[in-house]
This record gives sequence, structure tokens and C-alpha cells, in this order.
Amino acid sequence: MKRIPIGLSALILALALLTACGGSEAKTIDKYSATYAEEAKVLNYFLIPDVTGQRVAANTQDQLVENDRFGRFVPALAESWTISPDNLVWTFKLRQGQYWVDHTGAKTQYEVTADDFVAGFRYVSDPKNGIRNVRTVRSVIKGLYDYYYNLIDFDDGVLENTTREQLLADFDKNVGVKALDKYTVQYTLDQITPFFLSYLTMDVFFPVEKAFIDQLGQDFGTAADRLLYSGGYYLSSWQRDKEIVMTKNEHYWDAENITAKTVHLQKSSDSAVELQMFMRGELSSATLTADQVQGITGTAYRDKVYMSDLSSVTFWWHPNFASDNPEFAAFIRNENFRKAMFYGIDHVKLLSLDDPVNPLGLMRTTIIPEENCFDENGKDYTDYPGVREWKQAGNPYDPAKARDYFAKALAELTDGNGNINGVQETIVNQKPVVEFKVDGKLPLQMVYVHSAGSRSTTQALLFQAMMQEMFQGQVEVVLGQFVDDDYDEVILPNRYDMMYSSLRFSYADPLAQFGRIVEDDGLLNVAVDSAAARERQGFYDPEIKVLIDQAAAETVLSKRYELFAKAENLMLQRAYLIPFRAGGGSYTIGNVVPYTMPRGGFGVTRFKYKGMQIENEPLTEARVRQLREQFYKDLEVAVGAKK
Amino acid sequence: MLYQRLLLPLILFSGARMKAYIVKRFFESLLTVFFVVVAVFMLLRFMPTDGYFDRDDYTEMSEAARNAYLRTLGLTDNPLVQLGRFVVNLAQGDWGRSITVYPRTSISEILLEKIPYSLSFGLSAISISIVLGLLMGILMAQYKDGIVDGVGTAYVVLVRAIPSLIYLFLIQIWVTKLLGWPMLFNERNPVSWILPAISLALPNIAWYAIWLRRFMVDEENKDYIKFAVSKGVPRRTIMFKHVLRNAAVPLVQYLPSQILLTVGGSLIIESIYSIPGLGGLLVYAIRQQDNPLVQALVLIFSVLGIFGVFMGDVLMVLVDPRIKLGKAAKSGGHA
Repeated sequence: MKRIPIGLSALILALALLTACGGSEAKTIDKYSATYAEEAKVLNYFLIPDVTGQRVAANTQDQLVENDRFGRFVPALAESWTISPDNLVWTFKLRQGQYWVDHTGAKTQYEVTADDFVAGFRYVSDPKNGIRNVRTVRSVIKGLYDYYYNLIDFDDGVLENTTREQLLADFDKNVGVKALDKYTVQYTLDQITPFFLSYLTMDVFFPVEKAFIDQLGQDFGTAADRLLYSGGYYLSSWQRDKEIVMTKNEHYWDAENITAKTVHLQKSSDSAVELQMFMRGELSSATLTADQVQGITGTAYRDKVYMSDLSSVTFWWHPNFASDNPEFAAFIRNENFRKAMFYGIDHVKLLSLDDPVNPLGLMRTTIIPEENCFDENGKDYTDYPGVREWKQAGNPYDPAKARDYFAKALAELTDGNGNINGVQETIVNQKPVVEFKVDGKLPLQMVYVHSAGSRSTTQALLFQAMMQEMFQGQVEVVLGQFVDDDYDEVILPNRYDMMYSSLRFSYADPLAQFGRIVEDDGLLNVAVDSAAARERQGFYDPEIKVLIDQAAAETVLSKRYELFAKAENLMLQRAYLIPFRAGGGSYTIGNVVPYTMPRGGFGVTRFKYKGMQIENEPLTEARVRQLREQFYKDLEVAVGAKK
Repeated sequence: MLYQRLLLPLILFSGARMKAYIVKRFFESLLTVFFVVVAVFMLLRFMPTDGYFDRDDYTEMSEAARNAYLRTLGLTDNPLVQLGRFVVNLAQGDWGRSITVYPRTSISEILLEKIPYSLSFGLSAISISIVLGLLMGILMAQYKDGIVDGVGTAYVVLVRAIPSLIYLFLIQIWVTKLLGWPMLFNERNPVSWILPAISLALPNIAWYAIWLRRFMVDEENKDYIKFAVSKGVPRRTIMFKHVLRNAAVPLVQYLPSQILLTVGGSLIIESIYSIPGLGGLLVYAIRQQDNPLVQALVLIFSVLGIFGVFMGDVLMVLVDPRIKLGKAAKSGGHA
């Protein structure tokens, strides 16, 4: 027993003396190295629940179309496509001679054919496979809705006199995804969907080799050697919770644009470690916190830090119209109070937590993001009347306006002696988040629930102090925390009054957001048409719902956007949501040249490394600014977007 | 396997009372494992099913689709049926598949990937801490109230008083910078193995040192040592043949548990050095409500913990001559 520890200790001691052997690997410009905080839980690209997994899928699998560096949809595995005169049938011609490769990069016997796209869609359309995003396209692809629910009904025992096999066989007959020949795949839609190409970059439209997935069954995508690859890279190594290595696929149709031959991603959850590794030359890029930026002030690195571009995600302040807190329920139904909140939140102060230098650079004042939805004339949706004004208005913070609206709300909601009309003393039980007593008197008590992270906690404390000061002690914010997931722990069990939240923007149409905000089952409990809000509070706004329904039925983009813009304008005027901050926009330092890779707010192609240029030295902030200016000039020419 | 390798020789080469004690404690341990597993299994089934989905699932999947998904996981069956299925599958070596942490991946595959990392670092750290900790404890006891004792005590106080994240992080940043080592563990680069192993050993070195010092100082004050001193037995002989031998006995009891539980890994060390071990996996699996993974990990940890205690007790009986089975029990003593 004594020998083992002595032996191991001696080994470690001996290794400690080999200091010269350590050190970072020499970095070349055809290798990209970075860290990731969240593990790729699984490699099955139809499941991918996390950003790291999406990054792997985007680079190792190809789709019919992809985004170019301007965000335009351009051919990928499809060489060309045609749209039927009624706009309902989309036919894609595939490139010939494209083969799946394995995890060693060797060409397999399997060619990428139209059947692979049908097989992929067949896989995601079976509820048993639990593919999350199928809901997004269920009402888009012809016959899919019935096919999907027939299978569910059968599994539920509701549908009898048939077999599961028979129902599965209906796919070929009824679902609008067909292989017309070896190299032609056709999608038939239920309604005219001018933005259909943006759907095609979603994970549910990946191809799969049927023989391979049949052979592996449940093991498909659980290791690097249990996948085949059709993208610009193959996964040469994947060590769970450790590292991901992607190597250039020499058989890829566009191999000449795969500029980084190796992509090496290492797991590290600490931003301080990430920055140190970058400074030691172990990484090609790193993101920094505001504190870290201040920490490197005065060093050679400071002028190399720049703010990355904003994303399509919008964070907003989101009130709960179905709250169990009677004081808040009374106030939030009052438009003057909502407006008081809308104008009473100091964006600059709160955004300074993320960017103390230029906080308003992160601000977004519209629900739908700019530069993502363009009509048939290339006009941005956020330039439509009704939304344009909100975009141009800038910071809505206006203390005088906020106090004025609050005074009006008090006049309407209280008896003048501090008693809130119709609200009795009670215990608000939102355990385990919070439990407190309300007395039906001013100050109004409202629950703001936030995550346990330090940034989120600081924001919550600032918000609390802001409300206290703005409304002169008449609004008291009770803070509560969730541990892991805001939806499961807070929104779903209805344990909040105010939340800071967001929704992913799935496809290039405002309905991607409005559909979920106003839908009947009220995912956000927003009062526009939330079933929960209606049930609990007897309150909703039919005018907006009608506008959104009309817009959703409109097939000419410019007319469609006009109606959506009217709806969004009303949502903002009536302060149902308070848009606050855009996603993205983080301090970055790196050798990677921005605007050289695919761009776009939807699907997975925005994660592609294709075309990435890496330099020997970190780019300066001034250089990135020049590149950005040039990019937007080029973009205007490329897409004809009116800015 | 455990029975064949460890228990059988113990039973074969021990006396009748010892045999009876080992068999009795073994079955008590098995019973404890059984209750732990059943309790955890049933408690997990009483959790709301929301935990099987993340937020995107809820926003993207309909109620019917969510139900269909739960059905495919077998979660809509009676909990007792699920327990029966778990036991039958386990008997066939099938640990099931992860649901939310590593969706659809075989749990045995996950464990086989991760355990070797945690085990290697854990055993290295224990080896280092036994060697250095015992050495430090002996020196501290031998030179009690001297400089060595002072330095050793200062080390113990620092390691135990300062939050470990602070000094571990400083070690990672500064030592790697000073020596030009990689910051993260890389199994292809042996130099990167050193700091995690040493960092993992630091608290245990302090633990072994302070307890051994304490037991040795206690022993030194006992009559039989005073008698040996008065007889003129050399101090070195007294320290190593009598004091150390007796002082080490209480530490022996914890050794099996410590060795076995290294399988569990270290949340902090594995996280900061990016070691793909088991550290933190149980907590994460509980938070993600990955029932099959939680069950597997609880089963492994409870078996290791319970048998660690069992082995510790048996070792104590074997190495401590003061413990007499049977006779001592009658006088209300040990065993």
C-alpha cells in the first residue's frame, strides 16, 4: 500500500519538473480555438437543446439553403429551387455527387439524396421522437398537422381500427414532403408562406441517411462515430464535458470556403480563465465582462476590445396579467399604471451593467428586432409606420411622464386615502419563490422574480430602488429568485408579477414572436389573448388579437407587415410588454475578422464558421469599426435594404 | 465481485465471531442500499413532470406532444411498475438512458467515460495527501510548539479558513503562468495533470496532518509512553513503533470511504480545470430531473458510501486490538 502513493507522488513530482514540456500550442491562422460554457448534451442534430450543440450541427451538417455573410438565403445542398405560381409548392434541385462522410472524414457509400431530406422530416414528424421544433412548422407543411395528431391520438388510445405502421405509412401519401426523384425534393405548404426559406435553416429540415439511422436506432447521435456528416466539417473528436474538435471536410461541395481547417472548442465555464487563455495565445477569441474590460484598462489589450453585433433576441419586462397578487392584478390592468412603468424604467442605468461605456448601444425599443424581416421591396419591418417611431424614439425613460401616469393610475385605482379599490388583506402565496401579506393599501407590493446570478441580482436591486424612487415609495418591489429555469419554476406555476424575459426568434416573420405572445394558451400570460389572464382576471385586448390574426392571414409581405406594425404599435402604446435590450452585444477580443461568416437571426446557419478569416494578431476596436461601416455599405448594395 | 474480492478472504481468514460480524454488517449494508434506492426512486416519481422539459420544449411542444414524449419515456406507468422495470433491467446490466442531461445516451456509457477521470485524480490526490499529510502530522507532533508545528498549523488554518475557490483559482492562474503550463486539463499533455491532482489533495493534506498530530499528541501523553520514556526507549522508536501506530488507527476507519468515494469526483476542481469526470453530475442530474441518471448515481454513491463505512468498521476491528467482538459487547463496550 505504501508503494502506490509514493510512486504516484514521485511521478507527479517528476512531471512537475518537466515544466519545459508544457505551454500553449502554436496557433496558426487556419485553426480556430475557443471555449464554450454549456455542454453539447447530445449530437443528434434534431434534438440539439443547446447553443454548443447547434454550433456543432451547423458546421457538420448542411441544409438546402444557408445564409451568406449578408444574411441572404443562398443555395447550399440545393443547387436551385422553383416556386409554383400559387406559391404553395417549393421544389429544390440538389447538388449531385455529394456524399456523407464519417468521423474520420472518409467518404461513405451513402450519397446525399432527396430521400435523406424526406427521411429527416419523417423522423421529426413522429411524436415518439420528441422533436421540439416540429411545432413551428406543423401548420406550415401540408398534411403534417393531421399526420402528427393521428399518431398522438393512436398512442393515446383515442384512434382505433388502425395500426401505428399504417399511420406511419400515411406520411408518403399525406405529408407535403416528397422526393420527386433522386435529386429533387419538394415541399407543399398549407398556406402561402413567403418566408419559407427561413424555416429551412431550422434543425427540423436537416437530412439524414435512413439506412444509418435505422442501423443505430436510439444510439444515433450519441457519439462522434454514430453520426454521418454532410457539412463543411466532420466531428473528428468529441469528449463529453471536455472538448469538441471539428476538421475540414475535404469532400464538402464548398470546401474552398472552409478557411479554418480545424475548429477546437474546449469547455470552460469561467470567463477569467477564457481571457487568460486568450492572452496566452491559446484561443482565437474571448468574450469579456464589463469588469474585465475595466480591469485591462491601461494595458495593450484595451483598444482591442469591441462590442459584438446585436442578435435577434429581444429581452423585455413582462408583467403577469394572471397574477395571484390582488394588488398587482388591480394595477396592471390599468393602462396608466402600465405606462408609468414603461416610462419609469431607466434604461441607461440598467444597461450600464452590461456596457458602462455605451449602454444605449444595447437598447432595443421594439418587440420585433431590426434587420431580420424584409418585405418584397427590401424594406425592414421595423421601418414600417407604427414601429419606426418606437425605434427612432430612443430611450423611453421619462420621469415626469411616468409620475404623471402614476398619479392618474392612483386616482383611478385608490380611494384617495391610500386604499386600493376592491382589494382586501390577504396572503400572497407564490412559494417557494416568495410569500407575503398584502393589506390592500398603498404602497403597492409587486413581486419581481430574477435568476440567482450576480448580474441578474444587481439588476433586480436596481429595479427595486428605481421603482421606489420613481414612485416616491408608493411601489414596493418584493424580490424573489428562481434557481434554474424561469419558465418551469416561475412562469408556468404563475409565481411572479414582473419578469425580465425573452423568446427565441424562430423564423423571418413577426408572427414568430406575436404568435406566441398572443396565442390562446397564454404562454407569457400577456393579456392580449391569454387564456390564463382571461380566466383569472377577465381581461384581454381583442383589438390587437384581431390585427394579428388579420396579419397572419395576409400573404403579401408589405400588407402583412403593415398590420403587424399596427398591432405592435398598440402593444407598445398600451405597454403590455416593455422591450428593453437586444441579445448579443458582448465585449469581445479576438483574431477573428467580423463579417466574414454567415449571418442571420434564424435557424442554425448563423453558427457556421464557413468563410471565417483569422489573423495573427487581435483586431483593434478601430479596425472593427471600419469593418462594420464597410459591411453596412456592402449590405445596402447586396440586399437593397433601406436603412 | 465485492464479495469475492474483499469479503470472502476476510471471512475465510477470520474467527467465528468475526465471520458472524462481517456477514451481519454486510446484509445490513445491503438492506440500507435497497431502502435508499427505493426511496429515491419513488421520490423522483412524485416530482412534477415539468422537469422533463426545458423552457423551449414547453413553448415549442403542445400538451399532446409533451404527453406523447412522457409516454415514450415510460413515465406515465405506475411508479411500482417503473421500479420493477428498473430492477429487472439493472439485473441485466441495463442502467437505462439519460433523459435530459445527455438525452438518449446510455448511462453505462456515460459512467464508463467519466469514472476513470474522477477515479484517477481522486486516487492520486489521496496518495499525495496521505504521504504529505501524514509526514506533516508526524513532524508537527514531533516538533510540537516549534517552527514546523507553527508552519503546519498555519497551512491547515489557511486551507480550511479561506474559501477553496479563491486559492484554487489563484493557483490555476498564477502557477500556470509562472511555469508556462496549460490552464485546462488536457490528457494528451501530462503536465496538465499535476495542478488538479495537487489542488485536490490540499484540503486532505491538512485533514490528515491535523488529525494525526492530535492523535499522536494524545498518545504521547498516555502512561504507556511515559513508561517507555522512563525505560529509556529511544524517542524515534517510541514515535514510530508506538505513538504513530496507535494514532493512525482512528484514521484507518475513514480510508475505505475516502478511496471509494473518489469515484464521485470533485465539483470545483473538475469544473475549473475542465476535467470530464463525475463531479457535480448528481447535483446537475437532480436539477435537470434526469431520473434514470439520478437513480444510477444514487445507487453507485450509496453502495460505495455504505460499503466504505462497512469496510472501515471491519478494518477497525482488524487493526485495533482494543476491539473485542462478543466479550466487549457483554460489558457494554464496542462491537
